[in-house]
Amino acid sequence: MKLHELGMLAGMSFRNLGRHRVKTVITVIAVAVSVTLYIFMDGWLLGMTLESERNIVAYETGAAKIQTQAYFDKKDDLPMYESFGNWEPLARVLEDAGYDSAPRFVFTGTLHAANGSAPVLCTGVYVTRERRLLRYPDYLDSGRFPAAGAYEIALGMLTADKLGLAVPRRMDAEKFDRFIETIAPDPSDAARIRGLYEARDPVNGKKWPFSGDGDTPRKPLVYLKADAEQSDIEYIWDRMGSAGLLDVRIFTTIDIKALPERIDASRFTEDILPRFSSGDRGLLETVYEADPVLGDYFLVETGTDTAEKALALLLASDYTGAVRHVNQLIPATVTGVVNSPNPKNNANTVYMPLDALQDSAGLQLDGAVTELIIRRKDANDASLPGEFESPEAIRSVFEESSVPLPDDLVVKGWQDYVKDYISASASDKISTRVMIFMLFLLSFLGISNTMLMAILERTKEIGMLRALGMTDSQVLFVYALEASFIGMIGGFVGVVLGCLINIPMVTIGIDYSAMTEALSGDIGYRVAAFFRSAWNVPVIIGTFFAATLVSGVMAVLPARRALRMPVTESLRFE
Amino acid sequence: MKVVETNNLEKTYQLNNLAVHALRGISLSFSPGEFAAVAGPSGSGKTTFLHLVGCLDVPTAGTVSVSGNDTAVMTKKELAVLRRKTTGFIFQAYNLIPVLTAFENVSMPLVLLGIPSGEVRERSEQLLADVGLAGMGNRRPKEMSGGQQQRVAIARALVKKPAIVLADEPTANLDSVTSREILELMLDLNEREKTTFIFSTHDKLVMDFARRLITLRDGRVEDEVYR
Repeated sequence: MKLHELGMLAGMSFRNLGRHRVKTVITVIAVAVSVTLYIFMDGWLLGMTLESERNIVAYETGAAKIQTQAYFDKKDDLPMYESFGNWEPLARVLEDAGYDSAPRFVFTGTLHAANGSAPVLCTGVYVTRERRLLRYPDYLDSGRFPAAGAYEIALGMLTADKLGLAVPRRMDAEKFDRFIETIAPDPSDAARIRGLYEARDPVNGKKWPFSGDGDTPRKPLVYLKADAEQSDIEYIWDRMGSAGLLDVRIFTTIDIKALPERIDASRFTEDILPRFSSGDRGLLETVYEADPVLGDYFLVETGTDTAEKALALLLASDYTGAVRHVNQLIPATVTGVVNSPNPKNNANTVYMPLDALQDSAGLQLDGAVTELIIRRKDANDASLPGEFESPEAIRSVFEESSVPLPDDLVVKGWQDYVKDYISASASDKISTRVMIFMLFLLSFLGISNTMLMAILERTKEIGMLRALGMTDSQVLFVYALEASFIGMIGGFVGVVLGCLINIPMVTIGIDYSAMTEALSGDIGYRVAAFFRSAWNVPVIIGTFFAATLVSGVMAVLPARRALRMPVTESLRFE
Repeated sequence: MKVVETNNLEKTYQLNNLAVHALRGISLSFSPGEFAAVAGPSGSGKTTFLHLVGCLDVPTAGTVSVSGNDTAVMTKKELAVLRRKTTGFIFQAYNLIPVLTAFENVSMPLVLLGIPSGEVRERSEQLLADVGLAGMGNRRPKEMSGGQQQRVAIARALVKKPAIVLADEPTANLDSVTSREILELMLDLNEREKTTFIFSTHDKLVMDFARRLITLRDGRVEDEVYR
């Protein structure tokens, strides 16, 4: 097709748009709305994904973790008995290779406070290393991060708030009076604290006492003043600490790998022994002996290699009796409340110095940890881990050093630990795209309908164009181009509107903190307060071209239908 | 060589399982420069004849040859190209493209033929001047009278210097004064360009202008007169 022929046909297609102005405008609007929404939703999802992934790495997991293979396989059960010791040489190798690492011990428990109890996920942390590697210790709503070696904890904001372990933001008047009496027996202290709060209507926010006719008899709530400074909050926090309000206890069960002292006779002979080969059976029968009076089997050999092998055999089988559960109550003081950009840190989480958990008043860990988290020393929080921080790169560090990674340990990347986020994000992406696809489908059906009507009304004109010697493909081109123009204009308007909406979405975002709070921080995404969009330029450009192209395709069917009609019939069409 | 040659041309339409014989064996030939009219009452087959000669339809039996090309063996696309090169059409309802200007309507056949744009401009403006519309090239069809629109249609049919111009009732929508003007214009162009004109008509005026008058009745040639 020559250039001026193309120009003529394109000109005709473009001018044809003006023949059905209302229909064209409506269709353009439909396409524009679809494109706008697509760009908005895509940018939003991308923003959420990027922000979530950054927050996961910077606040939650680091770039990678070293764990035992057995722990990794059962990680959802948090099997503390699958921990490992002697992490220090590994940390030194990593340090020399340019990585920060921090050992942790993860366990579950119940936190008992004066105002109630809550199930918590506890992490024993090596304070200085943890602070170097992850960012959440810098995001404390009040107080400070626990000191090494102390029975102190930092608690997630949501749980702290629920259990009255955070500086209260609002409470009812009676509770407030009791609170003041508890934390500030001295009248001058009480006056200072009272001055930091104000009573307001919980619905319309009016200050108490209410005045005017429109007032309702609603009971006011006492709110911390918006202009309260950090020093004021620290003051209240200190008073709460002095009054003993921040003293808590964590109840947990310690899982210890050990040969059971006693095994029921029938269990031993009918259930356990048949699992093993004759050699292994012999080994177990050396370690356990049947009591001639009681009949049951009792452990008779401990601390030997044979006993170690017997324990390994039982752990490798499906037999669960080789893990003992010991109850433990750990006293602690809440020294800080974590309120980080990653809601996982702010939920039912407890951070406690690892060294305090080592002894008999803690978890009797004997130096064991469940994971060693790793991040590059000069890592930028704004960027995701690169090649240098991949599990393969970290593994190769050990291969090249004199300290090899023990066989039972594995290096896993951060993605392996956030399946909940990945599934939430994937299902969100799918459902949103399906929704937008339906919207696109509607607008494209609109284009098809507009073109169908246009082509029907111009049947005679099509006959004349064919009589003049235009081939079917040239006529088809004219109509496909006309529909493409609708898509192009709609796409352009959509892109402009989408970008205009994206600007505040990227720079300011939407405050979803109330929602994350209502869902106890568990929304899948790792964004606590502001959901921000991101620019996805390839998608913006792609959407424009897709709208143009698909619109053109939508004209093909009605145009082909019209071209199937003989020219003479087209010319006679009224 | 004959411009158009038909041999025993037949066309039968199926209308609600009823066979309608529009043409029943017409053998006619037209030489270059003829100014011929095909007349006859409604249903006599004159429009069908014109459509077959213009390669807009295919015969049920018989053959049509246009400028030496046997249309029976040509594909749909080849027929479109043949129409583009050899045949100009003038319709009763003018059938101009409403969104294009008079100039663009006239130049369209040349653009489709791939003529260079300079020549397209020159020839289109010349034809518009020839049909008395010099200076009106920028007007859209709706800004023109019926006579002016038919002049544009004539210019469009003639601009590519076709071997044959087929005019289906070209004066049916025009008053008698305009009809005469239009016919004089076509006759003048016929004499100057030696283009063959074939009209289908039942307008007495057109018949008076024609140098050859063919009368059809019930799909057959009833009478043929040369003047």
